[in-house]
Amino acid sequence: MARILAALSVCFCLFVTTAHAQDEQYVPGPDAERKEGVPQGTVTHHVWDKSEIYPGTVRDYWIYVPKQYEKGKPACLMVFQDGGGFVNEKGQTRVPIVFDNLIHSGEMPVAIGVFIQPGVVPPAKKGQAPRKNRSFEYDTLSDQYSRFLTEEILADIGKQYDISDDPQHRAICGNSSGGICAFTVAWEHPEQFGKVVSHIGSFTNIRGGNVYPALIRKTEHKPIKVFLQDGENDLDNLHGNWPLSNQQMAAALKFSGYDYKFVLGVGRHSARHGGAIFPDTMRWLWSDVVEKN
Amino acid sequence: MRFLAATLLLVGFASTAMSQDMPLSDVLIEGQGWELVADGYKFTEGPAVDADGNVFFVDVPNQLVLKLDHASGKVSTFSEGNGATSGLMFGADGKLYGSQNRDRRIVVFDEAGKMQVIADDLGANDLVVASNGNIYCTDPKEHQVWLVRPNGQKQVVAKDIASPNGIILWPHEGTLVIADSAGENLYSYRVEEDGTLSYGSPDYTCRLPEPEAPSRADGMTVDTKGRLYVATAVGVQMFDSTARISGVMLKPDGKAPSNVVFAGPKLDTMYVTARDAIYRRPTQATGVRYGKVKGK
Repeated sequence: MARILAALSVCFCLFVTTAHAQDEQYVPGPDAERKEGVPQGTVTHHVWDKSEIYPGTVRDYWIYVPKQYEKGKPACLMVFQDGGGFVNEKGQTRVPIVFDNLIHSGEMPVAIGVFIQPGVVPPAKKGQAPRKNRSFEYDTLSDQYSRFLTEEILADIGKQYDISDDPQHRAICGNSSGGICAFTVAWEHPEQFGKVVSHIGSFTNIRGGNVYPALIRKTEHKPIKVFLQDGENDLDNLHGNWPLSNQQMAAALKFSGYDYKFVLGVGRHSARHGGAIFPDTMRWLWSDVVEKN
Repeated sequence: MRFLAATLLLVGFASTAMSQDMPLSDVLIEGQGWELVADGYKFTEGPAVDADGNVFFVDVPNQLVLKLDHASGKVSTFSEGNGATSGLMFGADGKLYGSQNRDRRIVVFDEAGKMQVIADDLGANDLVVASNGNIYCTDPKEHQVWLVRPNGQKQVVAKDIASPNGIILWPHEGTLVIADSAGENLYSYRVEEDGTLSYGSPDYTCRLPEPEAPSRADGMTVDTKGRLYVATAVGVQMFDSTARISGVMLKPDGKAPSNVVFAGPKLDTMYVTARDAIYRRPTQATGVRYGKVKGK
């Protein structure tokens, strides 16, 4: 019995290791490394604890402002859900470094980055569980999160920085539930956000998000440019099958004539692949804006 | 053997990294569906678990409070003719508390089934008793929720819910959840140190029998993993600890359940009241006790 168990364990281990290796081939590239002579933007940390749209929630957020930003010249904007991972210069995506490099080389426009964590309602007493609001904020198909974003956080940031109100200058990005959230924000308010980046997006039935491909096919085309990334080894669970759902999204975007790009790799439910190709994603996403400048 | 342990650790790590998905299969046991325990009542409600794991429930129109012995499955009458009790729950003091919506009062039963009124002139469809003795009860007619303190003092702590019905506390009692039977959502509130409620949010979304139909969300319970179970028109709906729906259990004999509780000595048997009957099924989950129940 012990022998059988051991053999089974070895098999399983090999399987797990193979899947890991498939994911681990995706690593940050040279565009995500600091380079001499490239001006560095600033990143500041803030806390938002006065939400009226999500009462009682507390969350961290960060603002990246490139060195090239000039007051009076409206900058482009990119918002990130689960912002703590994207703003981390040692993470998989390293957005501040990528932005510094690509803005300096002229491959993307001057853009302010806003990195927002999901809300948490802290408990009144020690030892009690906090109420994590992430799924409610990210997975719900409504305009509640986009209103929170535009009426609360971005309205506040807009007091200090000049940000373009042209939706083609405004992008939103996220991984997993943060990915479907990015799509929902643009879908609900295409006059606010015209660019979406979704990595391993949860277009599955966590809270009904599996209907998007059907909605896209039967709704008049919206002016949204969409980038989707997923991996063949992504999740298959009670909420749905991530690779199939993302393929359905891509097919629906194609059917309805969207300007979209879909990259299907072999990774798992992680930030690795989306992070590794993020500089090229930015080149593609902002190419229309760069061409006009 | 050591190698095996290390492997299991690695496997454990890999599955942890996959996030906390909580499918129905984590709770249900294959081939172990609903078992009819007793029937022949008018309308069953209010299942509550005592210190030994036995179930007390009510037959509302017949003004009966009944005791179901978990081991034998036998039902005996605990209290009769003392008002239309619709909700029941044991407090940390070991006493059985009841809500009587038609009679507009909160009552408590001693071990002999003798009843005493502890608060009146309030709507009280269902109730939950916190470990500090605070009682929260739903008042569907007035669209509000009451807090009744151990000294009988009462105040409204939540308003503007279409039809508040079932009510439950999370493990550790930091969050209180209210079922709106007329709507689609269950509402979460933070429980403040003084017992009042704040920051209500409709963060649980139920499956509906058809679009725009009321969920008929009624009685609720939670387990040690933070999962929440609510009796609804389509069956018992299970949510994970971040309020994401995990799935819907089938209705016993096609009957919509009114309430749900974990009982048995290990709190791993799920009981539901449904129309004229009470049913149960073994599960892989473990229910939660609020405070230290007398005798255990």
